[in-house]
Amino acid sequence: MSKEEEILEKIKGKFGNNIKDITIKRSRRIFAETDMKYLKEILRYAKDELGFDHISTITGEDLGEELELIYHIAYQNAIELSIKTKIPKENPRIATIVDLYPPAGIYEREVHDLLGVVFEGNPDLSPLLLPDNWPKGVYPLRKDVSLEEIKEIIEKGGEKG
Amino acid sequence: MSFILQLLIFPGFLFIICLAFFSEWVLRKFVARIQSRMGPTYTGSGGILQPFADFIKLLGKEDIVPAFAERTYFTLTPLLCLTLPLTALFILPMAGNRALISFEGDLIFLAFIFTTLTIMVFLGGFLSGSVFSMVGGVRAATQLLGYEIPFLLALFGPAIPASSLSISKISTWQAQNNAWGLWTQPIGFGVLVICLLAELELLPFDIPEAETEIVAGWNVEFTGRRLALVRLGRDVELVLASTILADIYLGGPQQVWIIPPIIIFLAKMFACLLLLGYLKTLFARFRIDQVLSGMWKYVIPAAMIQFIILKLIW
Amino acid sequence: MSGSTIKVIIGPQHPALKEPERFILETEGEYVVDVKVRIGYIHRGIEKAMENRTYLQGLYLSERVCGICSDAHTTCYVQGVEELLGVEPPPRSRFIRVVVAELERIHSHLLWLGIAAHEIGFDTLFMYVWRDREVVMDLLEIVSGNRVHYATNTIGGVRRDLNDEKIHKILKGLKTLEDRVKEYLRMIQKEQTVLKRTVNVGILSKSDAIKYGAVGPTIRASGVKRDVRADDPYAAYDEIPFNVVVEDGCDCLARIMVRGREVLESIHIIREALKKMPGGEIRVRVKPRIPPAEALSRVEAPRGELLYYIRSNGTDKPERCKIRTPTLANIPSLCKMLVGGYIADVPIVLAGIDPCFACMDRVLVIDREKKEAKVWTLDMLRRYGREWYRKR
Repeated sequence: MSKEEEILEKIKGKFGNNIKDITIKRSRRIFAETDMKYLKEILRYAKDELGFDHISTITGEDLGEELELIYHIAYQNAIELSIKTKIPKENPRIATIVDLYPPAGIYEREVHDLLGVVFEGNPDLSPLLLPDNWPKGVYPLRKDVSLEEIKEIIEKGGEKG
Repeated sequence: MSFILQLLIFPGFLFIICLAFFSEWVLRKFVARIQSRMGPTYTGSGGILQPFADFIKLLGKEDIVPAFAERTYFTLTPLLCLTLPLTALFILPMAGNRALISFEGDLIFLAFIFTTLTIMVFLGGFLSGSVFSMVGGVRAATQLLGYEIPFLLALFGPAIPASSLSISKISTWQAQNNAWGLWTQPIGFGVLVICLLAELELLPFDIPEAETEIVAGWNVEFTGRRLALVRLGRDVELVLASTILADIYLGGPQQVWIIPPIIIFLAKMFACLLLLGYLKTLFARFRIDQVLSGMWKYVIPAAMIQFIILKLIW
Repeated sequence: MSGSTIKVIIGPQHPALKEPERFILETEGEYVVDVKVRIGYIHRGIEKAMENRTYLQGLYLSERVCGICSDAHTTCYVQGVEELLGVEPPPRSRFIRVVVAELERIHSHLLWLGIAAHEIGFDTLFMYVWRDREVVMDLLEIVSGNRVHYATNTIGGVRRDLNDEKIHKILKGLKTLEDRVKEYLRMIQKEQTVLKRTVNVGILSKSDAIKYGAVGPTIRASGVKRDVRADDPYAAYDEIPFNVVVEDGCDCLARIMVRGREVLESIHIIREALKKMPGGEIRVRVKPRIPPAEALSRVEAPRGELLYYIRSNGTDKPERCKIRTPTLANIPSLCKMLVGGYIADVPIVLAGIDPCFACMDRVLVIDREKKEAKVWTLDMLRRYGREWYRKR
């Protein structure tokens, strides 16, 4: 059994139906999906029991009705496990994982800045990339914010006209 | 009348200014060649007019006084940066056995000028109204704490064998007795070179001016005419440092054969200049705490040992 | 926050930084007690822009994320897109990708070595190394036609081929570089003024390096053997045996040595790649529309692990393209390294992670940068800093 298959079996065995749709895309790439409430548990299991000691990044995506977060963690810098979870757009809140993976702090800050997700428990969600005079509530990476709108904001020097 | 002429032209004011420009070119070209670069090349033949061109350019630039700076000191510092080394050069023999102005005790006067110069640097940095310049000024003053003692010890060393506190007499004595400080007190020579590097803020002691940390350090806020004077002052200081080495450790101007003393003097002076330039290219920069600890641990004991040896022998 | 700390602000414009960022250091005397980072000064909106451009246009965008790791970005991007398409680039193109990527690594490390020397005031070394950097830039020009932004990668392969004449010139240039770099490494280890500024400066222990998610030469200088080229091989790296350079010093000197030795290792890799290069085509044709799929592509850029996550939606434009650059990953470790050290060491420690802020900021649209440059004069920065002191 390859290492990827071993990992897949262990996660399936531990979490059963709480983890939907876990597949091996190709060598060293595993993709999985889960509900928001099981996410941290799965990450903790992966980190403490399976040896996924490195978090590569956190991707955020706007799916229309919901926002999707993908947590990419790595095992020995080789096998990447990408765990997806969806959160509602009207109330985009999820628990932070900064206590598990310290570098997650900066990735959560980025997703918060550009997509408006609030990571509860993260001690520092101050703006990372957007300028200080950017209008509140406009999250550039969301699909409903067009390029023209962003251009307008910049030309007006920061306040929405 | 002829004294005024001497003061103004040769070997006075005009001569020194031209020598300062020329020395800057020599140093820049020398350092550039060591670093595999070209250095100034296009202005004048081989770039010899570059320092002069830089000076003229700066004179024409806008002169800004920062809002938070002390205006009087802001103007005073560049002036003193230029006039102090110039004055110092008047008491150093260059063209003959006697300097323009020579009296018993002018060696002490020289030491006084150096200390005043560093205090000026400190004040200039402190009162320029900028965080960077203040840090630079403070660092310059801190460096002074390190090199002042060995500097004075090494400076007064040659006075002992010559039994005189007049620079002209010291250099004449050394020339006549063929007892250059270079070989009668080599440790003193080494110590003086190190302290001059620190005083001139050349590598490895250019922490007050550390480019990557605080831009240009204490002189970051000077622009236009003031900056032109500061830079010219720095060139004159370079000449001053080389001249001191040449005069009190290398025997100063002396007549060899039919070659006039001024030529011999210039040869020695440029040799010292190239030595300083060479050392500048060899090292990285020391941190301020490393400068102080290095000075107090190694250089001061060396200077004191040298002094004791001198007292014992002479 | 004790009452005796002073906030020292480094940036956005500062002589130690080649690109604008803001680090707010809380200091007590000459020691740093806390660090806060604020980036975004060269945020250009590339991720958003990619969602509105075709895959091929996205290639040009990804190249311009950064000037000195441009090839790493394009390699990562095209690998991701090729995975979405289910297309394998021909073997020869994979070897050419390795050659260009390693030449870029040499270029990046030499540039960094010069800058690190400059940060500690060692201008002579800076001048020598940058003179030698010309050698590698000439080689890159021979291979790709350009000294930076090589544009050799394309979706499905590479755009330019290597012939015998080019190969011969490359080998010649490599020999020169090898001799010179060996000399510099030997000299650095003996030069007292350099050692005083780099030994035991910016310590990052092995466990901290893993805990804070460091990547690239930063983590390899702390004794951790991680390199995407060896662990998660791509292009032709699985067919070329090479060593992962690791040092145990955990300080700035170790980071210098890692990068220096990596240059020598890259020279070895290029030689092997040129020897083993198979014949054949250099690209395959691809379709512009990609059915819905997702791919996670990783590459070892000169600064560390670079990853692209791309999702397609059936059209000729990507649904989402997420870029995570190595410099961003090294920021938490940087904060850890700075705390407890001297202010005077900040430039060299900062330089130690080889920061590429263009890479790190990369997202968001248009000329915000130009507007910033007009507004933020050094004068305003000083006043801003002074206000900080007063407000505190």
